[in-house]
Amino acid sequence: MKCFKKSMFVSAIIFLFTVSLWATAFGQEIKIGVIGPMKFVQGIGHWNGATMAADELNAKGGVKVGDKMMKIKLIQADSNEFLSVTDATNAMERLITKEKVNFVVGGFRTEAVMAMQDIAMDKRVIFIGCGAAHPELCERVAKYYDQYKYFFRGTPYSSSDLVKAAFIHVGTVGAIVKQSLKIEGPIKVAFVAEKAQWADPMVPAVQATLPKMGMELVGVWRPSPVATDVSAELSAIQRAGAHIIFTIFSSSVGIPFARQGGELKIPAIQVGINVEAQKTEFWQATRGMGNYVITSNTYAEGVEQNELTTPFVEGYKKRYGEIPTYTADTYAAIIYGIVPAIEQTGSLNSDVLVAIMENRVYKVPSGTVRYTKDNLGRPLHDLTFGPGYLTGIATQWQDGKLVGVWPNGWKPAPGVDVTYKGMKPIKLPPWMIKAYKK
Amino acid sequence: MKLILFYLRKLLAVVRNEVLVLPSRVAVIIFFLFILLLPSFTDDVYILRVFTLTCIFAIFAASWDLLCGFTGQLNFGHALFFGVGAYSAALMNIHWQLAPWFSIPLGALVAVAAGLTVGIPALRLKGTYLALTTMAFPIIVIGLIFTFPGFTGGELGISGIQKLAPTRIEEYYVISILMLVLCTIMWKITDSNTGIIFHAIREDEIAVRASGVNTTRYKLLAFCLSGFFAGLAGGLYAHFMRIVGPSTLDVSLSFQVVIWSIFGGAATIYGPVAAVFFLYPTLELFHLIQDYRTIVFAIVVLLVLIFMPDGLFRWLREKVEEECPRCKVRNVAWRKTCRVCTASLE
Repeated sequence: MKCFKKSMFVSAIIFLFTVSLWATAFGQEIKIGVIGPMKFVQGIGHWNGATMAADELNAKGGVKVGDKMMKIKLIQADSNEFLSVTDATNAMERLITKEKVNFVVGGFRTEAVMAMQDIAMDKRVIFIGCGAAHPELCERVAKYYDQYKYFFRGTPYSSSDLVKAAFIHVGTVGAIVKQSLKIEGPIKVAFVAEKAQWADPMVPAVQATLPKMGMELVGVWRPSPVATDVSAELSAIQRAGAHIIFTIFSSSVGIPFARQGGELKIPAIQVGINVEAQKTEFWQATRGMGNYVITSNTYAEGVEQNELTTPFVEGYKKRYGEIPTYTADTYAAIIYGIVPAIEQTGSLNSDVLVAIMENRVYKVPSGTVRYTKDNLGRPLHDLTFGPGYLTGIATQWQDGKLVGVWPNGWKPAPGVDVTYKGMKPIKLPPWMIKAYKK
Repeated sequence: MKLILFYLRKLLAVVRNEVLVLPSRVAVIIFFLFILLLPSFTDDVYILRVFTLTCIFAIFAASWDLLCGFTGQLNFGHALFFGVGAYSAALMNIHWQLAPWFSIPLGALVAVAAGLTVGIPALRLKGTYLALTTMAFPIIVIGLIFTFPGFTGGELGISGIQKLAPTRIEEYYVISILMLVLCTIMWKITDSNTGIIFHAIREDEIAVRASGVNTTRYKLLAFCLSGFFAGLAGGLYAHFMRIVGPSTLDVSLSFQVVIWSIFGGAATIYGPVAAVFFLYPTLELFHLIQDYRTIVFAIVVLLVLIFMPDGLFRWLREKVEEECPRCKVRNVAWRKTCRVCTASLE
């Protein structure tokens, strides 16, 4: 009996040893860290997109690295970056040094992403930013290439391009308003930006650009990002006779502004950036009063930037019950950014991969990615904005549905016409039409 | 040789008769040894990072205790000193290329100036009014940072700050040894005549003034000292993180330091330090239960505050030690007679 127990024990040891050897030889994984504010919608988007990508790749047997197939393993890290930059850096260090991830995707708040970027770059780990839009993140790559070359912007395109897109949307809506309502003289624009530092440079930009676009700026309003009553601002805008309300909202003020605008039937159309209006819950939150609000966006149901858009949007909606927000582009960062580079090089070495990644031009569900260079020809690892690459879209709430309205016949250059499949015409609020067609 | 042996024997006698007789002193020795020997048990950069940050926050928490716990000047905007120290060190390092050894103390001096700026108007205020006023100052500084983004870096903050030391172990040793030294200095201050006056101001300021003590001077001194130590913590943070942003002045950081201090036991210095060493790594460890991290943390803090209102570590100390009713010397709780005067402890 004693001998039997002893042999059982030895067999168990041998079995465990064999299993661990097998796991080491054949069960290797590519570890991808997904970092973001996981208790917030942005972090949930990061995780959902990455999970979808990992599941799709693993269902196909994994990723081919040289002559072996490796599964993707995601490691989630809550950066808590809205509350603590220190927590964000700890999470990044944990991902890299404890979890030994090969790549990191995610990040949202610029201050935190910069701190996390430093850690990832020190450890030479490729970090694809999927949330922060500040140009400085990529300017660091150009200035200190050897140190920061492992950083790539995954989404969104740079904030300066976000602003450019918003101006294009205002110009497009302005032309429609002028034509439909037969407005004589310049289109009057009220600029409303939440009182936040990131929106401050927009004020001089609007003051300088709108006259060049043949429009008249009738005033600038700066409500608190968390204001719950903006009726005073809306009344003043109505008195100023604005046709267009150019909004810049990333915070909750986007909801009361849209709701009260609808309740008071302000005869002007809201165009610009309203992050709340990108969410599916916006219609309920404004009790339907946010109808006709237009905002810059990345995805909308039925809109196709290319052949990859619909499978991604529909797949995401089927799985998570909502349209993906831009932070869910961790999906694209993994499936179309990291994995093809690994398969092409057969390597997980960061330096080898960077050399390939920075020169690749590839399609993602929101357009085509090509990494830019600065004026001196230095790699920025920033996204190219424009026709044929990434343009984003504009969406409008039309009777409870978020529909794509731009680019729809956009002519950025002579002979170039950009229209994505599934676009619908822009609708003006009926009370606006009524007010101007008296 | 004989002299060395003499001092060794003397040291052993002191350890045996003064240190080993009280659990709190043994705990302090173990704590010092733990801090100094940690890198010999692990060279894991993540663990060293967590403990380096813990050391920085321990200095910060102790500096709050010096001002609020001891002097009773309730400060709900303590992040001001931390942030000003961090920003000043960062700006001096970036613009004047000053090495950390100069930028950190100079940054702390700027934090002292901030302490005076807060301290002078705060002299007329007490309690809740003082707390609310102090809370406004970091918000004002954040406003200034956003007003001059070209100089302060605005929302992005200042990056590219010089590292404190080339390796994580060196950084850990620099910061941890500084923490031990600075906390000991703070503890010695509270144990000095100045500390007694700080205590007295908190208990009854009018009585202290009636005794001929210039309380205004001492209150300002408390603000300056507290600002200096918090500023040093801020400077160390800046050079460790290599980035300083508006988050160093966050209201949440000001409240965090209050939670640490009350949790550990205010007016003790060791309490806030021990609390940071308990709470900060524990919260980091809670990433394993990520979804419940905040709620578990809140429950732990609330339970301690409900059942141990004087703080966890003061409560623990009271459980294992007691004061002799006659000579006021502390004894281990299970002694029947005082170790000094032999009075009965039962």
